[in-house]
Order: sequence, then structure tokens, then C-alpha cells
Amino acid sequence: MDDERYLDKSLTAFLDAIAARERAPGGGSAAALTVACAAGLVAMVARSSRDVWKDAPGVAAQALTLQDRASALMHWDAEAWEQALDALRAAADPTPLDVERNGPRRDFALEQKLERAAAIPLEIAEIGADTANLAAQTGEHGDLAYRADACVAAALAAGGARAAAHLVEVNLGMRIGDERLARARASQTAAAEAAETMHAAIR
Amino acid sequence: MRQSGDTLLVSRLSTLADAELVGRCRAGDAEAWNELVERFSRYVYAVTVRGFRLRAEDAEDVFQEVFARVYTHLHTLRDDDALRPWIGQLTRRLCIDSLARSGREQPGEPEAEEGRDRTAEIDEAMAVRDAMTALPEACQEILDRFFARDQSYRTISSELELPAGTIASRIARCLGKLREELEGRTEPPTASSE
Repeated sequence: MDDERYLDKSLTAFLDAIAARERAPGGGSAAALTVACAAGLVAMVARSSRDVWKDAPGVAAQALTLQDRASALMHWDAEAWEQALDALRAAADPTPLDVERNGPRRDFALEQKLERAAAIPLEIAEIGADTANLAAQTGEHGDLAYRADACVAAALAAGGARAAAHLVEVNLGMRIGDERLARARASQTAAAEAAETMHAAIR
Repeated sequence: MRQSGDTLLVSRLSTLADAELVGRCRAGDAEAWNELVERFSRYVYAVTVRGFRLRAEDAEDVFQEVFARVYTHLHTLRDDDALRPWIGQLTRRLCIDSLARSGREQPGEPEAEEGRDRTAEIDEAMAVRDAMTALPEACQEILDRFFARDQSYRTISSELELPAGTIASRIARCLGKLREELEGRTEPPTASSE
């Protein structure tokens, strides 16, 4: 897919790009889109619950903010991942001159790109957790007629958070004990618990 | 701890309503003039640079000209509560003149039109910022953390030592207060011959 932001593309074009034999967009962008859809559903339920829930307008505003953040990350995740892959490829096959002249600097640049490739899915995971939390509250206090949509939102947000946490783990490689990995897993767990609570309530 | 006289004066002036500030400026109070420039400099800067995307040197010229005209024409302001819209209108007009002079755009063409649109957004943002200051500190803090600093509920909960499950509803209630504050503010008419 070209440099145009994914948000400026049609959904069809984005889905074609996801399926194309290209490096990006990939899992991170798909996770971000999933969380953005979940946040959109929460906004829809909250907006439809103004008559029965006084916090509904404020919850809708928060959901729209989470949707904006998640959708922006569709693009940034793909870009960060492409840059990390390029850096990894260059590091795996350096020219002798490159090693001599730029060794330490190149390692630092590679490190920076891998860090960014992990930081973005971490953000997606945290937005997913917040969205699942908001979905659960919306399902509990919002208009009952929309509870199924809130439940879907919680499930999608939890799925997106889990997917993103997995990418954080992969992108951070072997760094067991990294604080960001713990944060990603905490977000995954919080999102899963919120979704499960929501599902249990309507069973 | 005792505050110095200067600090007390500045903090007292910063709490004055626009209309009161205008009155003091008209009476020749130099500190009030400093407060007026301080209060509106960010706004004028935002309109010139973000709204109309003027070059740095053009933005600086407009900035100087706006406050020079405010100084010389303040007596023409018919409604002292309308200080901000008046300064906004003055800034927009001078920005459009600046674009025309520099040959980048003629008034009425896309760049000037986009500038007006972006200025409307800046006006809205400034109104929200002003209304925020009327909210309880706890509300200002939590809204700033979520909407401006993009913090997650978990981070807010941990840093403010609040139960995680209450963050979203606290934000929602603070937004409700912000809305009431914004709705309580009447739109002042633009009032000047300038």
C-alpha cells in the first residue's frame, strides 16, 4: 500500500492491502482497526443511551477519543514495522565498510526502530483495555436494547488488546522482564476480564 | 510562605474578567496592559501561525500590529466583554492582509478561507481552555490527563490513586460540568468600529 494514510483509503482498499503479499499493513494495523471499531460501537451505544444514563454523553466523548487514537495507530504501526524490518535486514547483511564506519551507530538506530515497533502495539493494547472497560460500563448502564452491541464491542476490544500484546512480546524479542511486556499483558488481562464480565451478565 | 507584591498583583490581575481588564487598561494601568498581552498572546500566535500559517517574520509583524491596534483603538470597543472576539477579528483581518501583501493568496481564496476555518477551531479550543479553568482542580487534572496527555485509565488510576473502575465515570461527570460551563457562557457580540 502506498504512503497515503490508511484512514484516507476506502475500507475495500484497506482490506485488499491487508490481504496483499506485502509486509504492511499487517497484524498491528488490523488490531488497531479492530479496537477502533469497538470504540465506535461503544460511542454508538452511549449516544443511544442519553435518556437512561446521565454519564452517556461523556462516555461517548471518551469512546470517540479512543477511536481516534486507535485509528491513527493503523498507519503508524505499519510504518514502524516496515522501518524495523528494513533495519533488521540491513543489520543482517551489512557491507564491510558499513560495519567499520557505522557499527555502533547502526546498532543504536536498529534498537530505536525495534523499540518503536513495540511501543505502538503497546499503545494499541492499552487503548483496547480502556475500550473494553468502557464497553462493559456502557453495557451495564446503557440502554438495554443496545446491550448486545456493547458486548460485541467488549469482545472486539479484548481481541484487539490480546493481538497487540502478542505483537509487543514478539517485537521485544527475548527481553523477559521488560516493563512494557508486563504492561501489555496487564492490558490484555484487563480487557479480557471486562469482556468476560460483560458476556457473563447477558448469559 | 509570603508572596511578593509583584506575584500577588499578577495573580490578582490574572483572575480579572476581560471586561474588568479592559477597564483598567483604559484607565492607563500598565500592569493591566501586560496582563492583556499575556492573556491573548498565545491566542494571537495560534491564529497567525496555526490558523493562517504565516511565515515566522510575517506572524511576528501581525502579532506586533494586533497589539499596537488594540492599544490605540481600545476606546472603540463597544462591549468590553467582547474583547476576545474583537482581537480575533482584528488578527484575522491582519493575517489576510499579510497573505495578500506577500502574494501568497488574495483574500477570499483558499488559504484565507482555510485560515478562517482553522481560526474557528482555535476559537473553540480557547473557549474550552477558558471554561476548563472554572472547573474544580480534580476535574481539570483528570480531563487533561485523558484528553491532552492521552493517558490510559490504568495510568490515571495509578497516578491519582483512584479506583480504576471509576475513572471513566469521573471523566464523564467532569465533561458534564465542562459542558454546563460552556453553555453558561453567552456568545458576546463583536463590538468595535475598528
